[in-house]
Amino acid sequence: MSEWIAIGALALVAVGIPLGMMAASAILRPSVPEQGKSATYESGEIPTGSARVQFNIQYYMVALLFVVFDIETVLIFPWTVIYRSALSQGASLATVLLPMLVFIGVLVVGLVWAWRNGAVEWVKSPLAKRRKTERQDA
Amino acid sequence: MTAPLQSDTVLLPERIANLLGLSGVLGDVVGGLLGAFLIANLLLVQTAVAGPWAKRKITAAFTDRIAVNRIGPFGLLIIVADAVRLLSKELVVPEHVDRPAWDLGPIVIPFSALLGFAVIPMGSGIHLADPETGLAFAFAAASIASLGLVMMGYASNNKYSLLGGLRAIAANLAYEIPLIITAASVVIFTGSLQMSEIVAAQTEPLLTVAGVTIPQWFAFVNPFAFVLFVVANLAEVGRNPFDIPEAPTEIVAGYQTEYSSVLFVLIYLGEFIHIFLGGAIAATLFLGGPAGPGPESLGFIWFVAKIWAFYFFTQWMRSAIPRLRVDQFLDVGWKGMLVLSFANLVLTAIIVGVIA
Repeated sequence: MSEWIAIGALALVAVGIPLGMMAASAILRPSVPEQGKSATYESGEIPTGSARVQFNIQYYMVALLFVVFDIETVLIFPWTVIYRSALSQGASLATVLLPMLVFIGVLVVGLVWAWRNGAVEWVKSPLAKRRKTERQDA
Repeated sequence: MTAPLQSDTVLLPERIANLLGLSGVLGDVVGGLLGAFLIANLLLVQTAVAGPWAKRKITAAFTDRIAVNRIGPFGLLIIVADAVRLLSKELVVPEHVDRPAWDLGPIVIPFSALLGFAVIPMGSGIHLADPETGLAFAFAAASIASLGLVMMGYASNNKYSLLGGLRAIAANLAYEIPLIITAASVVIFTGSLQMSEIVAAQTEPLLTVAGVTIPQWFAFVNPFAFVLFVVANLAEVGRNPFDIPEAPTEIVAGYQTEYSSVLFVLIYLGEFIHIFLGGAIAATLFLGGPAGPGPESLGFIWFVAKIWAFYFFTQWMRSAIPRLRVDQFLDVGWKGMLVLSFANLVLTAIIVGVIA
């Protein structure tokens, strides 16, 4: 219990330090609002539209795969913790190692399937592909 | 494997509470707060040395230049000058930023990196907390940083920031799993997620060559896992060749494009502490934590040397290695690192199983 109190204390300090720095800076810094200063940076040009736009992030399938593998790591960690002590207490290799090999094997088969179907590829948008072929034609 | 002695590990809050003659919950709270304050300040000092001074000196040495040598001995007082300069800059708030998120993002980054240090044994009795799930906690705390990056990227109302934030997620997606799976291959040896037990498992001698005893550090036991971990760690802290979230020559500065003044300082502070946290986790898992020659009270010196070695390594990579393209970056993560890390885990399990 006391260790979680200590971690909570560090969390408090870790929020307090940034807030303290912000307070110190608020006292020190000037404020000279000028027209044009507050425009967002777009290579020195006047920004076109806002950044709240829709576009293809190109790794959507990878993000879905990540969820699968992340949950899998949660299931692997308890196994790694007990693995060695279970062996030293006389459990046979077949009962300790084999199920995990099957489990990882199923995931590897899934990964191979996703790989062959192009889920881990960087998706090029149809527009970009068309542009590239047009350039080659010209 | 012998069970480590539980009795001789007195954590920092308890030590402070004993020193002040406090006990019970009050002792826990006061000791915890003071200990946390001490640890945070140790890291702030190291970041102050690393950021405005060491980074410039190292980069200058790599590119055959002379850097910061005017103020104070070796230019060290540049740290004070830069701190005052950066904090006294005007804070320009761009138009139409998403206000609470835009301000909170830079707080999240140093918060997550500092929180990860709660479970790291730093030697010389500087160890704030030692829960049984220590390793998982360290990874969990370090991962909060990507939330801050996404907040900054989305809230800034800038296309470069948005791209940087999305790339930061891509980096996390691709390299988090290799990192954790490689760490799991170490847990097979230790049989515990508790940081003190991971360090204790590395104290026994591995072999003796010509009178020199090599300790059982997991970097020597399983060098392949160590290399994998360090590479995945470079991607986690976003440094070359994996610095695509910032990529100054492609997307200006990524998620931090629209930040100035103290918020910019906070982002940089968080990133440096994050590098140190990456080094600290690597040192604890693979380099025996605070272990080293000499008496145990020198542990903190060795620990600092190890995390600075990792920092130096990131700066070396920054000067020497080109950046990957973003699609290559995902390829390396998903087709290379992921497969290798699973191969490492399975092989480690089989070898440990056959030998034991």
